[in-house]
Amino acid sequence: MSTPLLQILDVTAGFGATTVLHGVSIDVPEGSIAGIFGLNGAGKSVTLKTVAGVVPARSGQVLLDGEDITRWGPEKRVARGMGHIPQGRQVFPELTVEENLRLGAYTLRRRDRSRYAASLDAVYDRFPVLRERRSQLAGTMSGGQQASLCVGRALINQPRLVLVDEPSAGLSPVAALELREVLRDVAATGVTMVLVEQNIAFGLSLVDTAHLMQTGTVVHSSPVGDLDDATLATHLGIGSVLGAATSRMLSSRATPEPPKKGKPRVRRTA
Amino acid sequence: MGQVLVFGLISGGIYGLFALGVVMVFRGTGVLSFAQGEIGTAALYVAAYLINDQGLPWVVGALGALVFGIGVGVLFELLVVRRMIGADPVSTAVATVGLLLLITTIEIQYAGSTLISVRGPISQHFAVFGVEVTGTQVLGVLLALALGFGLQSLLRRTDFGLGILAAAQDPTAVRLVGVPLSRVSATVWGAGAALSVIAALLVEPGIGVFAPGFASQLYLVGLAAAVIGGLTSLPGAVIGGLALGLVEAAANKWFGQSGVHGLRYVVVLIVLLVVLVGRQLLPELRARFDTRAEAVA
Ligand SMILES: Nc1ncnc2c1ncn2[C@@H]1O[C@H](COP(=O)(O)OP(=O)(O)O)[C@@H](O)[C@H]1O
Ligand SMILES: [Mg+2]
Repeated sequence: MSTPLLQILDVTAGFGATTVLHGVSIDVPEGSIAGIFGLNGAGKSVTLKTVAGVVPARSGQVLLDGEDITRWGPEKRVARGMGHIPQGRQVFPELTVEENLRLGAYTLRRRDRSRYAASLDAVYDRFPVLRERRSQLAGTMSGGQQASLCVGRALINQPRLVLVDEPSAGLSPVAALELREVLRDVAATGVTMVLVEQNIAFGLSLVDTAHLMQTGTVVHSSPVGDLDDATLATHLGIGSVLGAATSRMLSSRATPEPPKKGKPRVRRTA
Repeated sequence: MGQVLVFGLISGGIYGLFALGVVMVFRGTGVLSFAQGEIGTAALYVAAYLINDQGLPWVVGALGALVFGIGVGVLFELLVVRRMIGADPVSTAVATVGLLLLITTIEIQYAGSTLISVRGPISQHFAVFGVEVTGTQVLGVLLALALGFGLQSLLRRTDFGLGILAAAQDPTAVRLVGVPLSRVSATVWGAGAALSVIAALLVEPGIGVFAPGFASQLYLVGLAAAVIGGLTSLPGAVIGGLALGLVEAAANKWFGQSGVHGLRYVVVLIVLLVVLVGRQLLPELRARFDTRAEAVA
């Protein structure tokens, strides 16, 4: 077997006096989608952040393609093929859609600017709404459109490995389904992914392997096909979700779009 | 009236230049710097040495001052600010007060209270609205306006400049697209120092002499101007600076004879308070107005 593209080896991490990750180990083979699931506060996001280099690992190693990147800064990891779709769709609100994408291609443009035009076109083809709104300020778009921009901003840099944190959170059920198709398409082109999801049904319908986390440790790792309800119930304290994954996703994710900013103005009527 | 306008715009332009530096540093690193102004004074000593003592042309002295100022700004970023990445911005702000004290102490050691002066780049006089102004003073206003309204679009042209603009909105997200945040930080500290040096070089000839602490006094007004402009807006910083300059000039004209010392700070404080309190109250007042309107409808 070839080396996994990403290896997280016995990583511990924390903030100040508190340790959040107590020895996390996860292997992600090239071309696969790994899912990390767990209750709120289990340490899923912190795990992604240590892989990203935003939170330092206190011990253990992170290997990318066999190379030890534990001490690298986030910028260098991005330059070497890591891409991010962070929690909460952090687009740059005061930049236009196209400026967001140009910034997303920061390391690609430094390496080989001639590839940018084609890459931008590919993102626009995937998300026609971004092409239409290329000059609009990103902060003024809807939640679903910002989600598309966030994905596009990661893809435009042509990453080999994409870390995705809670992509479905706050999206309408339809937008979440669309996003799932996009992520599937991207994975089909050979891009490796690590996906964190609160919505187990959404996540399980996408990933190849599932890693269940509880209070900072991985308590179960297996291919999705080997998961059963009992395992999920034991480790995540949830009822039956398998089988009915897709239909449940539609009904249980009826989370409304976040309310638009600003108060509704009352018009005076004569 | 014309006098108030001319004097107001001249000092307002200088406040605007200082305020631009405040905004650059704040946008790039989220830190409010108190030291930058004094880098301007220290650089004036360098300019005075090169121009007065060595007899070099003004441009050479100014360039020397600029290089020195940028060097101090970047060095402080490398030695202190960078080590405090992730620390609470208030701690970093306090560290800048430390730098301010350090620079002032060195200035006092070097120059004591000797008053020194440096000439400006353009000494020709013009009459504007019946008021004599020098080319140097006009240059200050024009430069403030050009940078305030042009810098943003200039930054938008390059990827790195775009990174600087985005860093204020979300520093972590900027790193996650691969922009080296440490370079952004060093650049804005260098730029902030450069703006202080330029402001100091352009304002000093109009005042005539300088001593330790000289630029900090003006920089504090620039800090207020930046806050009035919203702390993240480059045009806002210059508009804030011009507004404070005009209000100060008006106050000087009408209350100047009263002999109140430090009138500048009283005026700045009052305007700052009105703006800050107004910003708090306005949404509330508007809400009240809206409910009334609703009741009427
Ligand atoms: N910046 C931080 N400072 C201190 N504690 C943090 C920070 N970020 C996360 N934590 C703590 O780490 C734990 C795991 O958080 P996280 O990985 O975000 O959980 P989740 O699995 O929901 O993504 C939580 O207890 C959280 O309070
Ligand atoms: Mg999380």
